[in-house]
Amino acid sequence: MSVALRIIPRLDIKGPNLVKGVHLEGLRVLGKPESFAKFYYEQGADELFYQDVVASLYGRNSLQDIVSKTAKEVFIPLTVGGGIRSLNDISSILYAGADKVAINTSAIEDPGLIKSASIMFGSSTIVASIEAIRQPNGSYLSFTDNGRNSSNKEVVSWAKELEQLGAGEIILTCVDQEGSGSGFNYDLIKQVTDSVSIPVVAHGGAGSAQNILDLASQTQVSGIAIASLFHYDYIRHNRYIDDFNKEGNTDFLKSDRIPSNIESATIAHLKSFLLENNIHVREL
Amino acid sequence: MKKPYKIAIIDYQMSNIFSITNALDALGFESKVTSDRSEILSCDGAILPGVGSFPEAMKHIKNFNLDDSIKDFINTGKPFMGICLGLQLLFDGSEEIENSCGLGVISGNVKRISAKNKNMRVPHVGWNHASKNKLLYNEKNIGPLCSLNDKDYFYFVHSYCVEPDNDTDIYTTTEYGGNEFCSSILKENIFACQFHPEKSGENGLRILNEMFN
Amino acid sequence: MTFRRGNIEGQIQHIPKEVKWCKKCVVSNQRPRIIFDKDGVCSGCKNTEYKNNKIDWEKRERELVDLLDKHRSNDGLWDVIVPSSGGKDSGFVAHQLRYKYGMNPLTVTWSPLQYTDIGFQNFESCINAGFTNLLCTPNGKLQRKLARLSFEELGDAFHVFVLGQISYPFQMALKLGIKLVFYGENGEAEYAGDPEYADKPYKPSSEWVKQHFKGLTFRELLAYGLKNKEYLSEDDYSESDLMFYEPPTAEQLDKAGIAGKYFYSYYHKWSPQENYYYCIEHTGFKPNSERSEGTYSKYSSLDDKMDGFHYYMRYIKFGLGRCLEEAAHEVRDGHITREEGVALMRKYEGEFPEKYFKDFLDYLDISEDHFWEVVNNWRTPHLWKKINSEWLLKFPIK
Repeated sequence: MSVALRIIPRLDIKGPNLVKGVHLEGLRVLGKPESFAKFYYEQGADELFYQDVVASLYGRNSLQDIVSKTAKEVFIPLTVGGGIRSLNDISSILYAGADKVAINTSAIEDPGLIKSASIMFGSSTIVASIEAIRQPNGSYLSFTDNGRNSSNKEVVSWAKELEQLGAGEIILTCVDQEGSGSGFNYDLIKQVTDSVSIPVVAHGGAGSAQNILDLASQTQVSGIAIASLFHYDYIRHNRYIDDFNKEGNTDFLKSDRIPSNIESATIAHLKSFLLENNIHVREL
Repeated sequence: MKKPYKIAIIDYQMSNIFSITNALDALGFESKVTSDRSEILSCDGAILPGVGSFPEAMKHIKNFNLDDSIKDFINTGKPFMGICLGLQLLFDGSEEIENSCGLGVISGNVKRISAKNKNMRVPHVGWNHASKNKLLYNEKNIGPLCSLNDKDYFYFVHSYCVEPDNDTDIYTTTEYGGNEFCSSILKENIFACQFHPEKSGENGLRILNEMFN
Repeated sequence: MTFRRGNIEGQIQHIPKEVKWCKKCVVSNQRPRIIFDKDGVCSGCKNTEYKNNKIDWEKRERELVDLLDKHRSNDGLWDVIVPSSGGKDSGFVAHQLRYKYGMNPLTVTWSPLQYTDIGFQNFESCINAGFTNLLCTPNGKLQRKLARLSFEELGDAFHVFVLGQISYPFQMALKLGIKLVFYGENGEAEYAGDPEYADKPYKPSSEWVKQHFKGLTFRELLAYGLKNKEYLSEDDYSESDLMFYEPPTAEQLDKAGIAGKYFYSYYHKWSPQENYYYCIEHTGFKPNSERSEGTYSKYSSLDDKMDGFHYYMRYIKFGLGRCLEEAAHEVRDGHITREEGVALMRKYEGEFPEKYFKDFLDYLDISEDHFWEVVNNWRTPHLWKKINSEWLLKFPIK
């Protein structure tokens, strides 16, 4: 495949902070998004994904500032999600510097939004985000509000419907694996990539470079969104607490703990490892 | 120190203007986001950006009375750059959504990327190469990609691609899913690319620099 | 026959008739025993400020180590009891005591009224993280009737669970000769008037047992039920079934050297959210796949199907639901802003716990009509108004 597999750091954002949960729960502050973004850009990230994790929950969206700040220093594509509810929201965030928008909650509430958005802004601008959670009977349902409220939309059929509506890309978050570093849900990812012909980005579960190699070799994903693996690595050497006292769960940041269940890896190390194993990624 | 060189970023309310401004800023260029004809014509260079669908873009361009301004600027011979949809709009027409006419500056049409097999996803999203048209540019350091080579990566995100009638207009091609498509054109003072230089990291910035220097 | 409740419940009569909201967090003055200062800030906020700024946590840890050194067994037998549900808070305490401080905890669990799947899963994960556990499930026939009695006469079916939850660990401590009983957070102290008074490593047995018997006691509740309820009779139980609903006497505990309820939150800056992360990492804890009804979180108090009704009745009685409880804590801890807390409350506060409604009715063996009769008996008049057959709070959060 001539187009390179994309390595996409995902930055969950609450207010002014980068936060990191597990299974999309918990809002532990790890730092300021701008500094992570810059570091990842310099390391060779292919795209950045900003998700306002509390936007739907609080009924707001507030990423304009951080998006504009990032776009000034970072010259790779930026996808922005969280609380995108209307065509106006989309155009504001694009105008602020985003290249693509990711929509989840509002798409489930009103699938027509995907359709009208893709007509107005072009399919390739509209990314449909799916938060998948396993049900007791083994099926997967799509959730909204940062993995909080279930819908009756079964994941694979919803993915197909989103493609029909005009979404240009799907980002699939496997919530049961998210933040745990336990590896990917290869089965579900494969089912989704097999059922659509638009690019699929997988998110949730990256625990090691090997996990990512396995995912790239076993599935047709076009990109992999990674959070914990990169963020916990970054803060090993960049743990700044000065500005944070104003907001957020900063207990972890103020301590010197490192989670034992997350390996750490830099983008550069990951890409070398993938290249050594014949996975086509972009070298800087 | 800002270079005394002003670039018009043609605004028809359909693109990520901010990123382009930022990129030019970082390179020390002065830029002006505008849809005003005289302002555009007074600049030393111009960029036609674009994100979205072809028919919608043409509607906006007509609404802002920009079609003439664009053609007139091109005719001044000053550097003119089209990006992504801005490349496609220069052509005769596109089949995206409904058949519509473009600006007709470059001869040819815009067609949907054909997916040869299941592995080939549309839209084409991600980092890919842009190989120079060997017939015309072999070993010649010409054009905005003169300092870059076939191994360099640029960021693409599109479902449609241009098919120029004249091979001489083709500056670079890109391979995707077994097909080669035209990823940029170079004709006199016009350079237009399917990929996004403002989103292609350092390589992209180099292209912008070369273009307007 | 219309249901009318009796008058054995002792808290509602004391709450202020005028509703005020804390200026800093999202709690109201309807919470029993809370105090608001002249600036409209609640005692919970004051105590958290004190906790965040006035405490030397390194010193506190040294105190903990001293305490544990005194109690640590040198033969590997149990030296501390951790009342545990398998949830994130007790999981954190048990794990820290064992793996950080080398103690030999015995976890004891007073069974929820009805285990949820996720609750039981987490309960087992905690055991698998390396703890011997005693699970006590009281006589179901009796417990269900007591739950109904508590629901009708105290406005909280959960009350009977709480009795056992308080008493069982101390009954076991006494029986097994274990002197140290360690809880997580000192919940009551969070709202006490004077933070310095509340900030103590343990609550002495003499104090808490005496307080416990001052209000309505278990025996009094049971007597009331036997006298006034057709569904409850002495045939439903024998004396042994009652053992764990009451704590040992203060004298028995003092004699056994059981000082009282120790609180881990005295020794370690308590953060329920960080306990979540810790348990994910160390005890195999998993959050629920969806948020709990009545609130926004997925990791708090997951083990009991009946839980939602405890919070719902608090909402009916005091206008204080589940979302408020969590949001207030998080606002005080600085995790979310008051504005965000308010947004969450407007979205989820008072949400009816539909999911296990049928289970609740079955457990209590009551009809839906009777359920609503009871609920309406507990609607505190100065809090509620009926508009177009819908009940609304007179003074919602602002």
